[in-house]
Amino acid sequence: MSAVVNFPVKPEARPYIEAFTAPSDEPDWLARSRRHGLDRFAKLGFPSRRSEDWRYLDLRALEEHPLFPVEPPEKPEQPGVTIVDINDFILVLVDGRWVPHLSWLRDLPEGVWFGSLRTAMTERPDLARAALAGADDGSSFDALNAAFASDGFILDIAPDVELFAPIEIVHLSLAGGAAHTRNLISIGARSRVIVAENFFGTGRYWRNDVAAWRIGEGAALTRVAVIEEDAEATHLDRVSATLGDASRLDGFVLMLGGGTVRHEASVTLAGADAQCRINGAFIVAGGEEANIVTAIDHATTGGTTSELIKGVAAGRAHGAFQGKIIVREGAQRTDARQTSRNLILGRRAVIDTKPELEILADDVKCAHGASVGELDEAALFYLRARGIPLEEARRILVEGFLAEPIENIAHVAVRQHLLRRLSLKLGRLEDWS
Amino acid sequence: MLEIKNLHARLNDGREILKGIDLHVEAGEVHAIMGPNGSGKSTLASVLAGRGGYEITQGSVTYEGRDLLAMEADERAREGVFLAFQYPVEIPGVNNMYFLRAALNAARRHRGEPELDAGQFLRAVRAKLKLLEISEDLMQRAVNVGFSGGEKKRNEIFQMAMLEPRLAILDETDSGLDIDALRLVARGVNGLRAPDRAIVMITHYQRLLDYVEPDRVHVLQGGRIVESGDKSLAAELERRGYGAVGDAA
Repeated sequence: MSAVVNFPVKPEARPYIEAFTAPSDEPDWLARSRRHGLDRFAKLGFPSRRSEDWRYLDLRALEEHPLFPVEPPEKPEQPGVTIVDINDFILVLVDGRWVPHLSWLRDLPEGVWFGSLRTAMTERPDLARAALAGADDGSSFDALNAAFASDGFILDIAPDVELFAPIEIVHLSLAGGAAHTRNLISIGARSRVIVAENFFGTGRYWRNDVAAWRIGEGAALTRVAVIEEDAEATHLDRVSATLGDASRLDGFVLMLGGGTVRHEASVTLAGADAQCRINGAFIVAGGEEANIVTAIDHATTGGTTSELIKGVAAGRAHGAFQGKIIVREGAQRTDARQTSRNLILGRRAVIDTKPELEILADDVKCAHGASVGELDEAALFYLRARGIPLEEARRILVEGFLAEPIENIAHVAVRQHLLRRLSLKLGRLEDWS
Repeated sequence: MLEIKNLHARLNDGREILKGIDLHVEAGEVHAIMGPNGSGKSTLASVLAGRGGYEITQGSVTYEGRDLLAMEADERAREGVFLAFQYPVEIPGVNNMYFLRAALNAARRHRGEPELDAGQFLRAVRAKLKLLEISEDLMQRAVNVGFSGGEKKRNEIFQMAMLEPRLAILDETDSGLDIDALRLVARGVNGLRAPDRAIVMITHYQRLLDYVEPDRVHVLQGGRIVESGDKSLAAELERRGYGAVGDAA
């Protein structure tokens, strides 16, 4: 069934509207949700670069050469890029669909539900509805995701459960189309978990993910993501997180590759004394674009935020960090720190960094700092004076620069996984100017 | 080993700092270059190590029969030239051990030797750390980050001991050291004295020379070596000061 709408459709949305086919075996609420998403996307079209949130990204390729959902290959192979922890639970999504034979979800501890969105439709419809209803900011790509969502993962943890081994999710893109996944992480009171997500793929494809995280009272979520997409790929993902009283979010994103990559995190410190740490590192080379957008909303008292984002751009690449911190009226005793440090290699690379603080309470501590510079000549000479060739000296300095925020990750296997991915990436990088 | 002839160098802003240096250093010798502030001591060390920001306008530097000035800084180091920095650089995020292993393996590759594996490297490190009384924890930190002044200088000598250069240039390694640190540094330097190795110590004071006895002492003033002699010259300088030297030149 092709969709017909009775209002003006943005021209760039038209091919997507025409490609839409409503799945036949789904409940009414889901069909309505898809329909609603499609209508909204038809009205909104692609975001304009005049909009402040999207000004640093060029999405013309997707407007001119649209990408649609595809079936994953028959028997995809083990990606071989996981953290490989002996007690791991792992869920693999290929082209936006769960692949059971690559996943390991058996013997989950009591109080933990971890599985695909489609599985949840039958086993836990409450969670599936929460995943599909959540994260609705009215943006173009949320709407498109609502219409096309193929699958995703859900991690739901009851109160008072502590998981020591990381929960892993691998997102692979192999078939060259578009994948729209919806993901939900919901942590019960006082529970603790580490979630590690890896994004990889080959060819020209588009990933458009939407996730919601809910962290209950006194609970802690550590979540790290490694994004290593193909140089021709577009990766857009948006997370909206809600933090309860005295809860803690420790987020890390390592962006190592992808033609156009945008990671957006909107965090609301809804409960008192919540702690939010968002760290990240990115490197862009060739003609790549990477964009980290964070919006941290201190809605009530005693919240702390700490952000450290480090970026490196080489070649003709373009990196950008937009970090907004809002301290609402009444959110007293807020302590928020934001730091953005960037390195430019060569004359054609560009990095934009844009901190934005909106403070409406009076008893707060807020600090931010941003810098964009070149490799430290003195450090470079020091390494060369010890016999290290120029290229290797540059690589060591860039690696050290980007490794700094990674060193703060407490879980050893996760930290080493990230350091290894970074090191491998820099070993492959040819373009240092 | 090292032959400097009529070396003139100026800063990129045009100021001439070295105005005709002549120096001859044989293998196995230890030379001290002394002089007041602003005489060109550190410029000489920088030019020999290949630091940017200087222009050589005249003269030549020959190292083991080759034109040293034609080599890049990292090639000089791999060929056996070592500069102990007056101000060792802090490099956040880069682990000391990692850095040192990269340096050691760069030199080994250059000489056509196999790279050291982690175990061999660690054994070599432990032996030398002991000599300089450096704790192993320090090695697990970022290069020179959070090191005291004395630890930074000892780290320079430790790196020198690891890299086993043929020509070591020590740029004011004694400055800012207390007496215990000075003794350790001197022990490290003396441990490296060898028939096939030359050491050039650049210093403002005679202090270090009480512990590391030089074969030759030179006085650098106004960008030239104005006086040379044996170790007794250092003691004489200490007594009469730099003001009286080189008036005849």
